[in-house]
Amino acid sequence: MSLKNKLNRLQSHMSHATEKKVEVEQKSPSVFPFQDVWQQHHVSPYHDIEGSTCLIREIHYPLDYLHGNYRFQELYKVIEKWNETTECHPLTARGHQAEDLFFFDTETTGLGGGVGNTIFLLGYASVSRKGVTLKQHILPDPGGEIALYKSFLESIDYTTMVTYNGKAFDWPQLQTRHTLIREHLPKLPPFGHFDLYHASRRLWKHKLERTKLSIVEREVLGVKREDDIPGYLAPMIYFDYLDTKNPEGMLGIMKHNEIDILSLITLYIHLSNQLLGLDKEQTTREAYETARWFSSIGEIKKAQVGYEELAQMNDEAGIKAKHQLAWQLKKKKQWAKAAELWLMVSSDGDDQEKFSACVELAKIYEHRLPDLMRAIQFTDKAFKQIETKEKYKKQKEGLYKRRERLIRKLQKRIHQDE
Amino acid sequence: MKVKKNLQELIKELKQSDKFGEQITYWHTLEEKEAQVADMPIGLDSHLMSALEKRGISRLYTHQRSSYDAVMAHQSIVAVTPTASGKTLCYNLPVLQTIINNPQARALYLFPTKALAQDQKMEINELIEESSLSVNSYTYDGDTPSNIRQKVRRAGHIVMTNPDMLHSAILPHHTKWVSLFENLRFIIIDELHIYRGVFGSHVANVLRRLLRICEFYGSKPVFICTSATIANPLELAEELTETNMKLIDNNGAPSGRKHFVFYNPPLVNQPLNIRRSATLEVRRLASEMLMNKVQTIIFAKSRVRVEVLLKYLQELVKHKIGPKAIRGYRGGYLPSERRSIEKGLRHGEIYGVVSTNALELGVDIGQLQVCIMTGYPGTISSSWQQAGRAGRRHSESLVIMVASSNPLDQYIIDHPDYFFKRNPETARINPDNLIILIDHIKCAAYELPFKKGESFGRFETEEVLEYLSEEQVLHENQEKYYWMNDSFPAHNVSLRSASQENVVIIDQSDVANVKVIGEMDRFSAMTLLHDEAIYLHQGTQFQVEYLDWEEKKAFVREVAVDYYTDANLAVELKVLEEDKTKRIGNEQIGYGDVSVTAMATIFKKIKFDTHDNIGSGPISLPEEELHTSATWVTFFAEGLMFGKERLEQGLIGAAHALKAIVPLFVMCDQTDVHVVPQVKAIHNEKPTLFFYDKYPGGVGLSEKVYDEIDQLIREAISMIERCPCETGCPSCVGTDLSSETAKGDVLKLFQTWL
Repeated sequence: MSLKNKLNRLQSHMSHATEKKVEVEQKSPSVFPFQDVWQQHHVSPYHDIEGSTCLIREIHYPLDYLHGNYRFQELYKVIEKWNETTECHPLTARGHQAEDLFFFDTETTGLGGGVGNTIFLLGYASVSRKGVTLKQHILPDPGGEIALYKSFLESIDYTTMVTYNGKAFDWPQLQTRHTLIREHLPKLPPFGHFDLYHASRRLWKHKLERTKLSIVEREVLGVKREDDIPGYLAPMIYFDYLDTKNPEGMLGIMKHNEIDILSLITLYIHLSNQLLGLDKEQTTREAYETARWFSSIGEIKKAQVGYEELAQMNDEAGIKAKHQLAWQLKKKKQWAKAAELWLMVSSDGDDQEKFSACVELAKIYEHRLPDLMRAIQFTDKAFKQIETKEKYKKQKEGLYKRRERLIRKLQKRIHQDE
Repeated sequence: MKVKKNLQELIKELKQSDKFGEQITYWHTLEEKEAQVADMPIGLDSHLMSALEKRGISRLYTHQRSSYDAVMAHQSIVAVTPTASGKTLCYNLPVLQTIINNPQARALYLFPTKALAQDQKMEINELIEESSLSVNSYTYDGDTPSNIRQKVRRAGHIVMTNPDMLHSAILPHHTKWVSLFENLRFIIIDELHIYRGVFGSHVANVLRRLLRICEFYGSKPVFICTSATIANPLELAEELTETNMKLIDNNGAPSGRKHFVFYNPPLVNQPLNIRRSATLEVRRLASEMLMNKVQTIIFAKSRVRVEVLLKYLQELVKHKIGPKAIRGYRGGYLPSERRSIEKGLRHGEIYGVVSTNALELGVDIGQLQVCIMTGYPGTISSSWQQAGRAGRRHSESLVIMVASSNPLDQYIIDHPDYFFKRNPETARINPDNLIILIDHIKCAAYELPFKKGESFGRFETEEVLEYLSEEQVLHENQEKYYWMNDSFPAHNVSLRSASQENVVIIDQSDVANVKVIGEMDRFSAMTLLHDEAIYLHQGTQFQVEYLDWEEKKAFVREVAVDYYTDANLAVELKVLEEDKTKRIGNEQIGYGDVSVTAMATIFKKIKFDTHDNIGSGPISLPEEELHTSATWVTFFAEGLMFGKERLEQGLIGAAHALKAIVPLFVMCDQTDVHVVPQVKAIHNEKPTLFFYDKYPGGVGLSEKVYDEIDQLIREAISMIERCPCETGCPSCVGTDLSSETAKGDVLKLFQTWL
């Protein structure tokens, strides 16, 4: 029996989908099929001397082009402002010019980080006084990878890439594919990296269910997409393109990738405005998250300025800022001031904040500003916050112990007084 | 007061006593063996040498030395190493010496389980520390914290992992392991004999992928395999790795005098040939040993048996030596718990351990004095593995195998010669099973595109690559085949499950704690897991409440009823292609591809004890089709003048007997090869017995049956003839037969061989 027959017989035992696809028409023998369509969309071929080919699209936008709530030229303004700062920050452009950045995004044939996940589109934009240049390197056939990476590495003359989750995904995946054909390619140069995904999570996780770029665009940046092809369809469209060579679907993916990259520029401007305190419409919560970010990277002074300003308010962010300030005061052993702020948090914060404020107050009134009755009061109030919550077993035990100890101390005090 | 007896006295008593004497059917004594040693190899690093000396090793056993010499000369080897023969030095020595010579060199250790890898890491790290070498050895498995994974990938000289991890986590991410693959000098395959059947066929393909990646990065590793005693270690190693191997079997480790005793429980029902339960007998024997504080290991076949025996024994000796002195050991215990048991055994604080075959593998527990097996472990090879747990180097030890009523057990107990003189079983794999192969070709294509004309191991890929392109899994471009699919193929392939589509058994007795208790292949599920079926799991009765055939899930609930269910399966076998054929006497033997169609029709409820039929019901499941390989025996029975009824009964009885014997020849479970009688086979209209591989496409089991059919049938005849029952019993032709003449008729069918 022939192997093919066996294969067909065993079909139902195979792990891949068995739906029979329609036979594809004979492919056109042309080296560059659908040349006219591609050219209309500013795409031309790139040939490598080793005989591999990729496609490159290049388009331009003027600096005053409005994408979402910003014009691209505002990038110059924020970079100038960054250069006036002294603090450290993962997104700081201090020491950079706008021309040093490239805004980078890829499209791949799958989601995971394995070797076999092929990058079929490398897209990036850079800004200069002449305008924004956006280039896309497209893989017309899997055999064209050498040309794809060679052309890409030849043209990226920048120091820092700006991505959306590129630290975990795009860049490692590019390194992986580079490794597979490394003997044909120059080494990958080192780059600085601004990953705006983590920044967006920090600032907007509180209000967005998910922090996908498309959601941030819609909810934060004011970018409207029309007829957009969702990213998850990209692999299927690419597989279809490999079979038919018809660029129609690919043009949609390229448009999608283009918007993603342009949004990175807008997003970087907007995030910089948040961090630099230049956004007049910044919500107090955004200001709070900004301060917290500075605090977490050790820029305590910068954070404190932010918290203090917010602490004037009595809204949600104001309470949160008071809570944070109180921690800072505790570190500085300024017990009375800390207690004052925690008193406010203990009545107006959310459950979690109320709980930890009460615990801190109980500690302060037990050890620092002795007032055993108040310490017991706050211990009880802390207990009330978590009474019905199962997860807090350990905390409950801690409170029990504290209460017992406080009662003992109180009895001893009464005894001594007598 | 009774004085504590030592092992010698217990052995003497066992030989003479009336209490046990009658049940002992065979007593075999293996004399003690002196160590055979060789000098340390010249050029061995002095630090390494002194670290070994600190452990009292100043010379090597002959097999350790042969391994070292061969491996250092870049020869791949398979070393056959019984329990406790110092096998780890066979690989650790050449590996460490090579890394000392060249700190860039890397080695990959493969163990069948995570626990073994952990064990070996501790052992080699002790040696490394004592020699103050700067060699990094790490385990890499599901428990490895992500923050040290990067360090393992970059700087691990020795990476210890398992085939599953290699398959799904290392190979698909090989670009993160460049320094390992560029410098890989050794691949160690420990416990080689575990890689057989479906699992072995998968692992052979994982190794093909591994070698392909090594070639890409320019390394050419040497294999070092170690195996328990099986019939064909060299053949298995060469098939698994497709590499030329040298067999190292000059075991130089010493052993003490060992008594191997066959013990058959007394008959409780003569005509039906039913014996007292093996578990009860083991209980009796083990308590005798433990009461005298003789260190004993007891093997039981299931986790439940382990627990039952453990509970009883702990109860019994509670006041004498304390319940903590007897422990259980099985899968499902926490690693820390296992470690403490192993340590307790080594240090002698624990006197007894009741274990599943989990302790058959090379976990270090030191050597005990007595080993008791509850039933024949299923293969000669694992019997010796278990027996190896008893036996210190310079003192006597005792092994008792207590038989159950199972036909295979009874056969072994009646044929001690067979057990002691014949080669152990042959381990079979079929790396070219198309279903397994294609799964791994997909994984391989994901890892690196295939060039046109490239072979995968010895397999020519051209047709398969074309097929996968047609299926749009791969994409052909410029003479290369690229992975073009958005899935991660390794995730859809499990190395251990017998088939992609097993039915999962879900116990919902406790609503708050619904859990998966097992899985079963589709074919067996039709008759064992249909709606209302009574399913026995480790001695507990469950009723199937609902079988979701689409989703392949059976929902069961614990019950206590006095009946079992028996389903009728209409099976039809079609020979698709005859690859081999031969004639023995009157009978025609064939081997080739078959299609098996099966349809479950009705089930009966049958009362225990009386075997009364107390009800029945229909089964509405679709017909199932399986394509696999099979061996068939066609009888020319016209001369027997049997009626259809007698012929059918005879064939059923023959199938029952043969099914029990198959595992004697091929290393597999009794359920891996199905034996089905057909009174009038479709392809030749003659009475025919089919042996087919349960796994689609076949993994080489029935082919082995074809090669050994003559011997196989002779053994079946001998088993039936020697069985003391009158008209058939579970230990020979089964009890499903209504005819009084069945036992004799089976023998008449086999007249060619008589």
